Amino acid sequence: MTRPEIRAATLGGIRAAAGVPLLLVGGGMSGFGALAHDIGFTGWEAVLATVAVWALPAQVVAAEMHAAGADLTAIAIAAALTSMRFFPMAVALLPTFGSDVGPLGRITQAHLMSATSWAFMMRASVPQDPGPRRAYHSAFTITCLSVAAIATLAGYLGAAALPAPLALGLLFLNAAFFMVLLADSRNRQALLAVALGALLCWPIHTVLPEASLVLAGVVGGTLAFVFGNRLRHPA
Amino acid sequence: MTGAPHDALTVVLATAAATFVWRALGALLVGRVDPDGAVVRWFTLTSYALLAALVVRLVGLPTGSLAQVPSAIRLGAVVVTLAVWWLTRRSPLPAVLAGSACIVAAAALMAES
Repeated sequence: MTRPEIRAATLGGIRAAAGVPLLLVGGGMSGFGALAHDIGFTGWEAVLATVAVWALPAQVVAAEMHAAGADLTAIAIAAALTSMRFFPMAVALLPTFGSDVGPLGRITQAHLMSATSWAFMMRASVPQDPGPRRAYHSAFTITCLSVAAIATLAGYLGAAALPAPLALGLLFLNAAFFMVLLADSRNRQALLAVALGALLCWPIHTVLPEASLVLAGVVGGTLAFVFGNRLRHPA
Repeated sequence: MTGAPHDALTVVLATAAATFVWRALGALLVGRVDPDGAVVRWFTLTSYALLAALVVRLVGLPTGSLAQVPSAIRLGAVVVTLAVWWLTRRSPLPAVLAGSACIVAAAALMAES
């Protein structure tokens, strides 16, 4: 592999990020910033959450549960349940970066990885050679992460300074993003899990408000796992 | 579950650790697990159900400022989000913007009257 190849891959990664991925990341993270402001985080805690967690569902779940007064263990369990997806994603993606990457390099790429970057790396148009592929992924994800950090702060400051109606619109972004994400599943077993989680949340919430997310998730997910197996393949 | 009060920074660090564990585990176990196995499938379904419950809580049982918006309007914004998503052949951005615009417009109208 040569230097120009790496440079071309780096530029390619930045160019691929600068489009719909950055709009999605910017919108989602400004919603999180607004939420963080609403529940009393400081601005730098909000930005730290984006950079250190780098997973919108875990961030919003944690912020929501913290605001509702949930226990730290319950928050960590809920965050871990939503973030488990990174495990199979890392297992599938990291080998394509070559065998000469050490554990530290692998863990770094695994931290930079997001659902969006993962989906992009599965496309045929990205570099397939390990070296340029790694450069492409680094450039793509670091671009997204930088914009995410700025958007978090912008959403945070926006929630503080914008007229109230606009600030409320920013807060709604979180729910709207997850709705389209969940609706986009073409797998009917996953849609069953979504329906069960939504239906179970309300009744559980009236009895055990602090545990409603984790319980609705585990019970809904398990029911869909046990009874929805024949729905697994897309219609 | 009533633990000791904890500050926001602790929550952020605990959430970061809970997410990082999976990334690191994936990095270390590359080539030794089946990413399509039953355990992974259970976790995926559970996270879908949990996120659906999160949407219900964010929209239906809001704890913060969103509670100022009447529930009928919040529900209307949900319907608009999903309808635009469907009509634009599953493009996320117009759907998300339309749903949030509903909240902004309704809140602005309420503030005026």
